Amino acid sequence: MVEHAELPSPDDPQAALAAVVALRRLANQLERAAVDHALRDGWTWAQIGQALGVSAQAAHKKLAHKKDLS
Amino acid sequence: MKLPRALQDVRTIEALLTGAEAEAQRAGDDLPGPEHLLLSAFGLPDGTARRAFERLGADPADFRAAVETAHRQALQYVGVTVPDNAGEFPPPPLGGVHRMTAPGQEVFQAAVKLSKATKPSLLRGGHVVAAVCGQEHGTVARALTALGIERSVLAAAAREALADR
Repeated sequence: MVEHAELPSPDDPQAALAAVVALRRLANQLERAAVDHALRDGWTWAQIGQALGVSAQAAHKKLAHKKDLS
Repeated sequence: MKLPRALQDVRTIEALLTGAEAEAQRAGDDLPGPEHLLLSAFGLPDGTARRAFERLGADPADFRAAVETAHRQALQYVGVTVPDNAGEFPPPPLGGVHRMTAPGQEVFQAAVKLSKATKPSLLRGGHVVAAVCGQEHGTVARALTALGIERSVLAAAAREALADR
């Protein structure tokens, strides 16, 4: 069962939407850092895509640095 | 030799957008938005963005810290604490062409529109300041509030800075 007691109240849209922006930003930063580590550890884009719940192509398109694309 | 106005404008726009991308990269954001455009405008050689802030007794350098504080406070609302020194994330890859968030595009277009309505009709940093002040919600609005700056007052200061030649 999902525990809702810890969820913040959405009745303050200003604060709740700002939190959504900040969480999205943090998630993107964490994603890039984790993928960098995974690549250094020898993960393939197929494995990274699987772990992120997207295709290998989608993961590569979003997260590969310019130097990896060449 | 004086550059033709159209070429001056192209150079300013290029500097503004390239600077905004660098600011977004530095902050670890995928795309530049209004806050990055404003930070980039502070570096434009016309100086009107900086002067708009200074007219209110505010230091443009404080705005960068206020943006980070706004994000940290927003995360605290959902019980997430990020330490001050958590800047170890790799930067996002740079795009080939200038891309921005939707609010970033709105601000840029509003700034260009404002610049066409002033004499000389050249884009300057003060136009970016006035344009971001039109955004009622978002990171810039919250960062300005944290600095104790009212958007309408800052917009007026930007117009004054633009009028001072």
